[in-house]
Parts: sequence; C-alpha cells; structure tokens
Amino acid sequence: MIPVSAYRTGATPRRTLALLSLLSACLMLLTACGPTGGTSTADGATKPDSGASAGGETEAAEVTPYDVTPLLKPSKKYLGAALTGVPKSLKPLTKYTDTIGKQPNVLEYYAAWGDGFDTSGVRRVYNAGALPFMAWEPFKPSLASIASGKTDTYLKTFAKNVAALNLPIAISFGHEMNGDWYAWGRTKTTASDFVKAWRHIHDVFEEAGATNVIWVWTPNVINPAPNVKLKTYYPGDAYVDWAGMIGYYTLTGAKTFDTLYGPTMRQMRTFTKKPFFISETASQAGERRRADINDLFDGVTANKDVVGFVWFNIPKRADWRIEISPLALAEYKKRAANSRFGFDIRKQ
Amino acid sequence: MDRETDSWFSPASPPPAWDPTQNQYRATEPAPYQYAAAPVVEPLYPYEPEQPYPYEPYPYEPEQEYEPEQGYEAEPATEKAAYEIPETPETGWSGAPSRRRRWIGRILLAGVLLIQGLLSLRLGNTAATDEAVSLIVGHQEFDHLFNGAAVTTDLVQQFPGSPSLYPVLAAAADAAYGLAGARLLSLLFALVGTALLYSLTRRMFNERVAICSAAAYAVLQSTAVVGYYAAPDALAIMLVALAAWIVVHSNRAPAAVVLAAAPVAALAVAVEHASVLVLPTLLLLAVLTAWPLPTRGLLRGFLLGAATLALLFVTGVLSGVRNGTFARGQGSESAFSVLTTAGQWSGLLLLLAFGGAVAYLWRERMNEVVDAAVVASSPLRRAALGLVLCGTGLLLPLLQAQLHTSEVMFRHIGLGLLFAAPLAGVGISRMMGAHFRQPQLGILAWVLMLALGISQSTLRFGTWPDSTRLVSVLRTHVSAEGHYLTEVEAVPQYYLRGVTGPDQWTSLRGQSASATASAIDKGRYDLILLDGASSTDKDKAVTEAIRASGRYRLIAQLPYRVSGGSGAYRVYVAE
Repeated sequence: MIPVSAYRTGATPRRTLALLSLLSACLMLLTACGPTGGTSTADGATKPDSGASAGGETEAAEVTPYDVTPLLKPSKKYLGAALTGVPKSLKPLTKYTDTIGKQPNVLEYYAAWGDGFDTSGVRRVYNAGALPFMAWEPFKPSLASIASGKTDTYLKTFAKNVAALNLPIAISFGHEMNGDWYAWGRTKTTASDFVKAWRHIHDVFEEAGATNVIWVWTPNVINPAPNVKLKTYYPGDAYVDWAGMIGYYTLTGAKTFDTLYGPTMRQMRTFTKKPFFISETASQAGERRRADINDLFDGVTANKDVVGFVWFNIPKRADWRIEISPLALAEYKKRAANSRFGFDIRKQ
Repeated sequence: MDRETDSWFSPASPPPAWDPTQNQYRATEPAPYQYAAAPVVEPLYPYEPEQPYPYEPYPYEPEQEYEPEQGYEAEPATEKAAYEIPETPETGWSGAPSRRRRWIGRILLAGVLLIQGLLSLRLGNTAATDEAVSLIVGHQEFDHLFNGAAVTTDLVQQFPGSPSLYPVLAAAADAAYGLAGARLLSLLFALVGTALLYSLTRRMFNERVAICSAAAYAVLQSTAVVGYYAAPDALAIMLVALAAWIVVHSNRAPAAVVLAAAPVAALAVAVEHASVLVLPTLLLLAVLTAWPLPTRGLLRGFLLGAATLALLFVTGVLSGVRNGTFARGQGSESAFSVLTTAGQWSGLLLLLAFGGAVAYLWRERMNEVVDAAVVASSPLRRAALGLVLCGTGLLLPLLQAQLHTSEVMFRHIGLGLLFAAPLAGVGISRMMGAHFRQPQLGILAWVLMLALGISQSTLRFGTWPDSTRLVSVLRTHVSAEGHYLTEVEAVPQYYLRGVTGPDQWTSLRGQSASATASAIDKGRYDLILLDGASSTDKDKAVTEAIRASGRYRLIAQLPYRVSGGSGAYRVYVAE
C-alpha cells in the first residue's frame, strides 16, 4: 500500500505544473488576441470621407484626398478678390459681396515664408464656397536655402498641415519672380534657384500627400522687363497647375487685355499649355476705369484658357478698391452678375 | 444465587414470599408470576415478511467477443456453486468501437470546426491580389462558359490552376454574395477538409488521436487564412484530404478500390497545381496503409500513381503544372529566412508530429485497453509512415527555401501539414498519456498553437493594404473607354469591373521600363497607378517619365500601413 504522504508529495508539483501551464497559455492567448503593431485589418469598411464635409483636420491617412482636378479647368470663370483682413475674418468678404453683388469664389491672401498655415482661415474661406489662394512670399531666407532643404522642418510641417486639412487651396510661391522689386526677384536670386526651390517645395508637399494644392506659377506680365525669359523661371508642367500672371491696368501702362496680358501669354504658350490665371489685377482709378473693367471681363471671357482673375481690392501704392469709383463699381457689378463668372467651388 | 441467571428482579421469576413466623422468606415453590396482558395494537399496515432482494447482476457483454488465448482451457465446473461471480473484464472500459465513442468524437469535431470557423471569420480586409486574380479570371471564365464571351484578361496566366474550375465557383459565389460569398465558399471547403482529416486519422489511429489532430490543424495560420481567402487552396486541400481519406479507408478493400482516389487527386492538382507536391505522399500512403503488406500495398500504390498520372496527362494538367507554377523564377529571400518563416507557421505542429512519430515507432499504442484486439504492425512500417507524413510537412518549406521565396507559402504550407497533422495528434495524445494522466500538456500545446494561429493569421490578413480609399479615388476617374497603367495587380480591376474591363488595364510588371516611359511620354494612359511600397529601378524610371512628360497630375497619394511596413499608392491622371 502506498502511503498517503507519497501521493501528496507527487501531486503538488503536478498540480502546480498544470496551473502554470494553463496560466501561461492563457497569457499567450491574451497576448495574441491583443492589438498587433502595424496591422491593418479594416474590412474594407472604412468609409471614404470626402474631407470636405469633415472640414479637414481629420487624419489625412484615413480620408480620401480632396480631388482638385474638377477645379483646374472649370466650365465657369473664377471671380476672385484680395481683401484686407481675409481670411482672418470674413466680414470684409460680406461687405465686398454686398458691394459688387456677387460673392467672389477665389480669395487671395498673403503669407510670408515662416508663417504658420492658417488652417482656420482656409477652412473658413472654403466653407464660404471660395477657393483659398495663398501667395507665399519668401522674404527670407534665400531661395537657395529653401532649395537646399535648410528650412525643411518648417516646410514639412506646413505641408503636413495642408495635407491634413484636406481642402483645396491654391498656392503661388514667390510671385513676380521676374521683377526686381522683391527679395526673391531677378536681381536678388537666380532663375535656377527659383526653379530648384519651387520643385523642392512641390516634392515635399507631394511626399506629405498634399495633393489638394493647386500650384500657381505667377510671374509678373513681361511688359516691364520684356527681355527676361519666363521659361528659365518655369519649374515644369509636372510642378505647375496654372500659369498665373500679375498685371494691372495703370494710367501709364498697357490699356487693353491683349497688350497687357497678350505678350506674356504668348511667351508662356511656347513652353506650357497650362491654363492661365490672372493672380492679381485691378484698374487704377481714373477716367478709363470703366473701360478697363469691361476690357478685363471681355478678355477673360474671350480667352477660353484663362480660368479667371483676382481683383486686388487693397489700397497699396495706389487705391485699387472698386468701391471708390461708383461708375466703375456699377460696371463691375453688371459684368460680374453674368452667370459665367463665379460659382461655388464646393459644388464643382 | 446466580444473579445473572436467576435474579429476583429478573422478570423470569416472581419475588419469594416473607414468612413472619420464621422471620425469613418462605421456601415454598413460588406461584407463577402473572403479568397483565398487553393491549392488542392493530398495525396500520399489514405486516408482510421481508422478501429476498431480487438482485441479478448485470451480465457483462463485451461488444467484441472475448476469445481466450490459445491453449487456455477452463476447468470444467464439477458442481454448481451457491452463487456465481459474473465474468468481469480486465479493464473498466473497452477500446472497441462503439456508438457512444463515435458520437463523442463527432461532438468534439463539431466544436473544433466551430473554432476553425470563428478563427477564419474574424479575419477581414479588402481583396488581396491573389483573390482578385481568381475572381477576375472566374468572372471571365463564367461569361465564357455560359455566354460564350472571350476571355481577354492576361491574369489567367497568373492563376495557379485550371481557370475553369475554382475561379468559376468563386465567381458564382462572388456574383451572388460578393467577396464574402467567395470567401465563405473557401471556409466550407476548409471545414470539410478538417472533417476528412479527422475521419482518416480516426481510421489510422483512433478517435482521440483524430480529435487532437483535427484540433491542431484547425488552428494553424494556414488553415485559418485559406478558410477565408478566395483562392483555390482550400478546395485543393479538401480534395487532397478526400483522396487521402479514400486511400486510408480502402486499405482492406480490394486493391482496385484505391483507384477511386485517382480522379480526386488529379482534380486537386488541376484546381491548384501545387497539390502535385503531395501526390507522392498519397502513393506512399496507399502502400503503407495497405493490409497486409507488401504486395497488395505496392499494387495499390502503382494503381493509384498510374491512374493519377494518366488523368493528369490526358487532361493536359501536367503540362500546365510544368509550364506554369514551377516554371517561375526564383525569389530573392534567403533560404534561412524562408525556413524561419515556415518554422514560425508550422514549427510547433511539426515538432509534435516528430514526437508523435517517434512515440508511434517506439510503441504502437498506449495500451490503455489491455484486452483490445491489436493488429500489430511492424516497426519498419511505422517508421516509414512517420517518415512519409512528417516529411510531407517539411516538403513545402524546403521547396520554398530552394526557390528563395515565401510569397505563396502561407497558402501552400497547409497541404503538407495536412499529412503531418495525424502524427501531431499522436504526439498530443501521447503527451497527455494513458487515461489522460497529463491533460494540461496537451491543452498547453493546443493553446500555444491557437495563440500563434490567431496572431499569425491576423498579421497575414494585414499584409496587403486596404484598398477602399484607392478604389474610391479611382472610381471617379475611370470609364469604359480609358486606358490605365497599374502597378497594383488585379485589385482595381476587380473592384471596378462594373465600369472597366480587364483589357483596359496594363500591368506595369508586364512591360519594360523603356516601353512604359515611351507610352507615358505619348500620353497613352488616362490614369497611372503606382504602388510606392516598391522602389525598383522601373518605378524610378516610370516616375521620372511621368514628370518629364508633364502630362500627368498627382491627384492622390494614399499612405497605408501593412504588417510588413508601410507604403503609399500614387494616382496620376492625364491633364
């Protein structure tokens, strides 16, 4: 007969072993059932989010990127404006809309290199049905520095924020680069550095997934410096969506659409077929103002490859505001009322 | 006076009378003592004398007739004893087949199949490339068979089997219930395969080994994945299991019966060309399971091999196998890496199978039932069986290591493990010991396999990106007229088959970098889809060509994360 103590001696380690075995097995099972790093098992059920309705800011990786292609060559013309105080506030927009009788659908604003991305302002503009247009001014550092990646920390953060917002925005970097009045102008930097900087910025934005940007390459009209070849400043069709241009009707300059923009457009057509966009324009107050406005609307209407214009309604060097000339304003109201100008970009 | 026997206060005699004259008790004979009559009490129930207990020992009836050993002769009973001790078995239970045993086995099998189903159904992702290939080919073949439409997709070249078998079934399920329907069809095949494994293992060993074997096989990564994967592997595994089932169950039938397995095995190879790798195992199984050895076994093996090869040759499957699946180039993975991966997926089961094979060779059974009729097999046969079954489990990983790729190993490895599983069942059963002495060891091994199976199958279903966003972006830019260049094989074609046809899509893999660059420069494509996960020279050349042409705009860069890392789809559209 086996003594009872012998059973006890043998049973204790066996039970302990069994207990430990089951415990470790349960732990392993729990571990295996837990979240696994880097695993994606979304059952195709991740509902695509247009981003527009979400108003951006959601994780860019989870939403369908905003498709800007319908905005590149719309059937109607953009009717834009640059207004003081926009996009910080839309009160100036309301006032301007009341003034001209129609809400502009491009709102241009200016940001210096180093400024943060105004997410709220851009969303505000988009929610009003307009395309935000940011003129990015690289006062400092130099274009060579930007091209070399010295400011990439800022650039990448900016690009990520733009991508995360997932709303359409037009960006014009270093506008009027063919002039000599800006820090990034032709006398301060080379065309090669400009192109390198532009491409670098574009690549960083692409890398960040910011495909919601409409890239507007914007020289000044060539009239002041006809010998400066625009092609040397052109980054390439793969980097540009609109061939922009800036040209004002002044008392002493060109007086017709063809003489003001024609030479520039013809030169651009030698190296690109991108749509034209008049990134800034206005008419200097004077007797010709009504005629200039009519000429501008006629020219934009007649040229199918001009997708629209931005009226610079800011007093700077001259008072370009439309409301200071009642007759011109009336003409502007009349022409802008045409259904071919202006549309809600959210419905495009 | 004896007070013990004649005590005065004994009720047997009255007390003596006192004589006052003699001042002593009278010595006269005492008168008999009269007691008052006790009242008569009527019993409530009529008294019945106790009846003898009708005990009749339950006669032991062994289901298998007891046959005494030769030479044993019971002594004749000379005279009938007063009582008889019933004949008792040497063990408390029998190892012979019984209805109860069968039903317990079936109930446990149902539990195993339930777990297998749950493991598969918990997986989820959009269609993988292999699944999309199967379904596109299936839809085209379906239209070809029933509507006479031409098969235009070149994806048929990528399909690892006969395009008119599994793809047609999957396409029918897809047409009715979508991708989930096609995957559920695979689940059905996988469950039947496991049930067949249980049945053939039960035939080879017993119910306990069978249930251990099925339980181990059901929780493997490969089983869980192919059970919810719209590819021909689940069907192929089921057909291979069916062929093995026929081979094992016909072991005592006339040799020609094994021919019934030949069309099933040939069909398995037609469904999935990789099944050809386990054909030798089926032949050896036909030899080794035959009873008695050796001539009948060899005849069975010969008949099965000849018939299967003849069928494969006549139907043209053999040339398809030679020119298709096994004519592909080698990969770039190291053999060690491939074997490590295989070890993670199948190592524990193979370890148990090796243990089972050794234990089986050492002792044929655990002898829980001492009086069971044992058909002893030779150690040579047991060693050969163990070698064949374990070797088949190793065959697929070794072949993949030789090819330096583990791309499709997760699907094919189950074919080999199907044969190693019975021995793994033996291993688990022996670990638990006779009379379930150490059940915790078996439970531990199974839970480990379950944990690995859950984790690895989840990771496997995360190795390809969720294509929901990609398809939603593409849908707005494709039409029935466009031409599209894609680096993402089959998936966009499958999801956009209602809008585009397969011939509208050009695979980047199918043409040279220079030809692609030239076509891009000419603007031949309306949309280009690149997969940023790869960064080959061709990718770089294509990206450069897109930039140089200036004809395309990047409209979406869709980052994704998968089990193996991350990447991004890039979608360009012509301006």
